[in-house]
Amino acid sequence: MEWLFLVVSFIAVVSAGMMLTRQNAVHSALFLIVNFGCVAFLYLMLDAPFLAMVQVAVYAGAIMVLFLFVIMLLGAEVTTDTSGQMRWASLVGAGVATLILIIFGFPIASGLLNNDGLEAYRGSAFVRVINAVPSGELALTTTFDALEDGVDNVTLENVEYNDERESVTSYLTLPAGEYTVTVTSEDGSEILYNESMILETKVSQSIIAYSNADNGVDVVTVADDLSPTDMGTMRLTLFNTVADTSVSLVDLGQYSTIRTLCENATCSTLIPHRVLIDELPVAETTSIDFDEGTYNIAFVDENNDVLRTLQDFDADRGAVETRVFVLEPGVDGAQAVHRAAVFSAVASPSFGSPEAIGQVLFIDYLLPVQLVGILLLVALIGVIVLARPDALAQAERRRVNRRRRVSRPLVSVLSQQTGADVLSGEYQAKLTEGSDDDPQAK
Amino acid sequence: MNSIGTEPYIMLSMVLFLMGALGVLLRRNAILVFMSVELMLNSANLALVAFAQQWQQINGHVFVFFVMTVAAAEVAVGLALIVNIFRERQSINIDELNQMDG
Repeated sequence: MEWLFLVVSFIAVVSAGMMLTRQNAVHSALFLIVNFGCVAFLYLMLDAPFLAMVQVAVYAGAIMVLFLFVIMLLGAEVTTDTSGQMRWASLVGAGVATLILIIFGFPIASGLLNNDGLEAYRGSAFVRVINAVPSGELALTTTFDALEDGVDNVTLENVEYNDERESVTSYLTLPAGEYTVTVTSEDGSEILYNESMILETKVSQSIIAYSNADNGVDVVTVADDLSPTDMGTMRLTLFNTVADTSVSLVDLGQYSTIRTLCENATCSTLIPHRVLIDELPVAETTSIDFDEGTYNIAFVDENNDVLRTLQDFDADRGAVETRVFVLEPGVDGAQAVHRAAVFSAVASPSFGSPEAIGQVLFIDYLLPVQLVGILLLVALIGVIVLARPDALAQAERRRVNRRRRVSRPLVSVLSQQTGADVLSGEYQAKLTEGSDDDPQAK
Repeated sequence: MNSIGTEPYIMLSMVLFLMGALGVLLRRNAILVFMSVELMLNSANLALVAFAQQWQQINGHVFVFFVMTVAAAEVAVGLALIVNIFRERQSINIDELNQMDG
């Protein structure tokens, strides 16, 4: 890695030097392309593949072709450097060089750039609250009380149970640090959870409230794995709250008969199946990756009786889904049913990828993007105006026209109409007599 | 995370910026002055990407993106100006462009 950087940066510096010293402008431009190529390579080493491609396509491609085109169009390959004013320019150059060396050199020499600063840096942490108490009567109020000064307390209210509805609980963005997290019922009478919690930079966590075996409510915090999924797979994270039976996840295969066999949630499995996860641990998260496609999966108990099927379960590439497996008590004497409540999430794109840049560009920086678009439009119009072949000639003609209009007013017009030289004394005499053909009367 | 840290990239960026600045000051050919400006913009971009990688903040990349866009617009307008100047004076030596001398 180190030698690679040394080789590439050496080529970059040498090509920049050659660009500055060549007398032929075409050679300079070609060396600059080499330099841009090296910088693109360094971008790749710095986890910025998208920018590397843009660098090659836009800089080394489009912009440098424009340069070469203009050089060759003008026939200005060989430059004529006059040396008349070189002495003061060299002095200024030396001064600027010293200044830049001081400005850049100071932080490098004093070690301000090393990674120790990272510890002092505090980024954002992400946290969400999932209510998986299936009675549907409990609404949660969660308070994040920051231990540090200057960080506001945050309260999340009315988090209710969502059964099988597709519900995206959005993550709350908090400054990383230590918090006291308090989870209470809606009116605050019952304190379910009150503990200190450290939210780390760029770590996503879920606070899950669920029914325990004694019909009480337990609250746990689990870390969510939102890292980019493997190529072409989706990640299903399961959180099992059912303690009294052992629950396994099975794949029923692509049988069209499953639909009729398992019309309701409880059908017995004579169907051959493949066990995906044997005995889901209780009150813990388990993750499994699916290749892209559609599946018929089911939760079964130890007798292979189906507790819940997920028919036509779509595994979209790059998706991340959290499901909480709960036993929902029957209302008004109805039978209790198992459900796998959905809490979707979105995997974060990997650093420097087009997705990551696109997200930031079109969400956080939408206005600047528009402004840059307008800037490009203005530049386009400016170039069209400048590049009109007769732009200069037209401007010259317009100037002359304007002057002519101003410099020969009434006098010549009057002369033409009266056929007399209006500036002569003879005409003046005529005017004072008040003759009939006075041109001013017309 | 890259294994060599940020400092070497910043040093390289400094060297390239220095060369660009000297090119702007010492070369008399308008096109070469322009290319030196591009070199300076590029070195600044390199520093931005290096810092973005150090802090794992994508905002630096977005800024590089904007700089590239502005550079493209600048080159288009600047080269159009150079073409016009060359048409009028048959030279792009910036020492001869002294019409605006007060």
